[in-house]
Amino acid sequence: MSSAHSKLYSDDVSLVVIVVDTNPFFWAAAALPFADFFANLVHFVNSLLLLNHLNRVVVIAAGVSSCSYIFDSSDASAAGGVGVTATFDKASRKVEEFIAQDARATAGNGSVVSGNAASLLSGALSLALCYIQRIFRSGTRHPQPRILCLQGSPDGPEQYVAVMNSIFSAQRSMVPIDSCIVGTQDSAFLQQASYITGGVYLKPQELNGLFQYLAVVFATDLHSRTFLRLPKTLGVDFRASCFCHKKTIDMGYVCSVCLSIFCKNQKKCSTCGSEFSRVMPDLNSMPDQSK
Amino acid sequence: MPQVLVVARNFMDMVAALPASKLDMLYDSAFICEAVLRSLPPLAKKYALQMLYVLAPVAAAAMEEWVLDEYASKHRVAIDKLLQLRVFVEVRDRRKEVSYKMNQKFQGNMQKYLVDGGSLPREPIPLSVTGRLPASADLEAYALDQWECFLLQLINSSQVEKGTSFSSSMMKTFQRGLLSSRDGEAPKLTENGFQFLLMETNAQLWYIMREYISSAEERGVDPTELISFLLELSFHKLGAAYSLNTLTDVERIAIRDLAELGLVKLQQGRKDSWFIPTQLATNLSASLSDSSSSKEGFVVLETNFRMYAYSTSKLHCEILRLFSRVEYQLPNLIVGAITKESIYGAFENGITAEQIISFLRQNAHPRVVDKIPVVPENVTDQIRLWETDRNRVEMIPSHLYEDFPSKEWFEQCCDHARDHGYLLWEDSKRMRLIVRGEFHPEMREFLRRQR
Repeated sequence: MSSAHSKLYSDDVSLVVIVVDTNPFFWAAAALPFADFFANLVHFVNSLLLLNHLNRVVVIAAGVSSCSYIFDSSDASAAGGVGVTATFDKASRKVEEFIAQDARATAGNGSVVSGNAASLLSGALSLALCYIQRIFRSGTRHPQPRILCLQGSPDGPEQYVAVMNSIFSAQRSMVPIDSCIVGTQDSAFLQQASYITGGVYLKPQELNGLFQYLAVVFATDLHSRTFLRLPKTLGVDFRASCFCHKKTIDMGYVCSVCLSIFCKNQKKCSTCGSEFSRVMPDLNSMPDQSK
Repeated sequence: MPQVLVVARNFMDMVAALPASKLDMLYDSAFICEAVLRSLPPLAKKYALQMLYVLAPVAAAAMEEWVLDEYASKHRVAIDKLLQLRVFVEVRDRRKEVSYKMNQKFQGNMQKYLVDGGSLPREPIPLSVTGRLPASADLEAYALDQWECFLLQLINSSQVEKGTSFSSSMMKTFQRGLLSSRDGEAPKLTENGFQFLLMETNAQLWYIMREYISSAEERGVDPTELISFLLELSFHKLGAAYSLNTLTDVERIAIRDLAELGLVKLQQGRKDSWFIPTQLATNLSASLSDSSSSKEGFVVLETNFRMYAYSTSKLHCEILRLFSRVEYQLPNLIVGAITKESIYGAFENGITAEQIISFLRQNAHPRVVDKIPVVPENVTDQIRLWETDRNRVEMIPSHLYEDFPSKEWFEQCCDHARDHGYLLWEDSKRMRLIVRGEFHPEMREFLRRQR
């Protein structure tokens, strides 16, 4: 990566990939209506584009069973002429289409228990990282990338492996993941993501002033972050999900070969196939096995 | 030896130097607000955004809390810049405590920008009127051509076949500071002139623009109007046609000059005439901040000090000649070598080693750009060594004192000079000492008092 980073702009030019939670189960019950939230988001995107003409912003919507790109500022400027308002109208239409499509997919899927569905964070993060890699590999110089997750719905423990893989790949390519929680409960995934990648994790107290939170904390470019006092995370929930039942666990068994996590004692690792010949003592008497 | 560098990026200082009322007038236009905001250092931009919806003044002490203690200097720079440009306005309350408030006009314009997004300063003419417009590649070629032609004329007016139509007095203003002409002699490039040539296109452009604006008053044009027009121009869409009829008289005169520089292309239709902004114009406000353009380079430098420059441009050849020996020239290739003599020649002209190296780095051919380092290390080291070689001897104007009547007196003089830190050398056996030149008057006074 060293060669890629020498081509970074030294200044505050940034590429911001925003992952927006469009989970209808969450927004139906949320304190802040989605329309208001979206207006705040448009404000924020506009302000990022205002700060530097080379800034690029990409918005990715994460639904319940699919995710997709809904806005790319480089398309908008290439199309030109039509005006920014038109571009944002197009983006909001795209969001509506996406939500409808996602709802159809969810209904067809049938596996989701309504009322407690998680958004596809892992998929959206992967899309974001793919986009950033594409930028890394093209052109002579590129902006400094970062990801911002605006999440409301609860974590989906079944995505644990995929999310962690995305987080580590973001860490490897030095892409900070910022997270702003617009829902009521903290997200363990995003706490870990921001902690590992050096991003900012924030759960705003007052959602009506969402734009001010976004402008003060999340509009800060990576260059300025070294100087500023930004909110620090108080505690990080490091709990993992087991690979066998996708449950969040406090304590479990870890494969000594591939570090897969299981909630129950297994004879053979389902991930790498190593056989555990020695019979493990009962979990309750071995507290240091926990991860 | 202190180096006088040509400072090209301080266009905003010029804006900041405008009287407050004129500056506030400039902020009537949303484009200028946008350009000013983008020209700010990153931290200042961030502060402006943070204050965008804050109507009440915020105490200066509270703002200092935003930044980590060890970076307080960065904070001060940012705040100073914001105050200079009147983006922030200082408010003092009854207890004399300072707090800052955002300029209302600026705030209003930026809030509107966030809601509506940016818009165009004026509507382009539809294609049905203009017919086919030049492709962006053609336009870029035109702009660079025009600019190079201008530069060539600037440094060497005899070599140009198709000169620009700048009046000679105008050309003189541009050359002021870059060329020195003594009577009866061919004008010679000054130190600043050489440094100017090694700068990036955008930096050069701003230098010229600055001269252009500062000479505006002599021509009876209000500089404020020019500044606002230039900043506005950078928000026009690249390659679209705009009618000349929408311009004021001042702007119409200015646009002809700008066309000569390659910032816009003028075209004449059946009824209307229009201008098409080129890349040089649209990059104007962009290049105010540090993120520079990504122009493709052309120089390949080998570890054996040979240099291959893939360029057809005469200007490039002239620039390379400043610090290298050009050996032969093929239609699309200039072959040269970096030699001790050529580099010494450059130093004579006041070019520094760092400038040469940064020029080579910025203009590296795309094939070698990916290599680390871009310019072979042995070459850069050698260039630096040659420079330090020249600076082995430091010259200090000084005075020699000798023939002291007594040893005591000599000692006193030595101590006096040493206490003030001006003693350079002493020889107690033969009672001689050398003192820095600027200390001489005081030394003389001291000697007189002793007598």
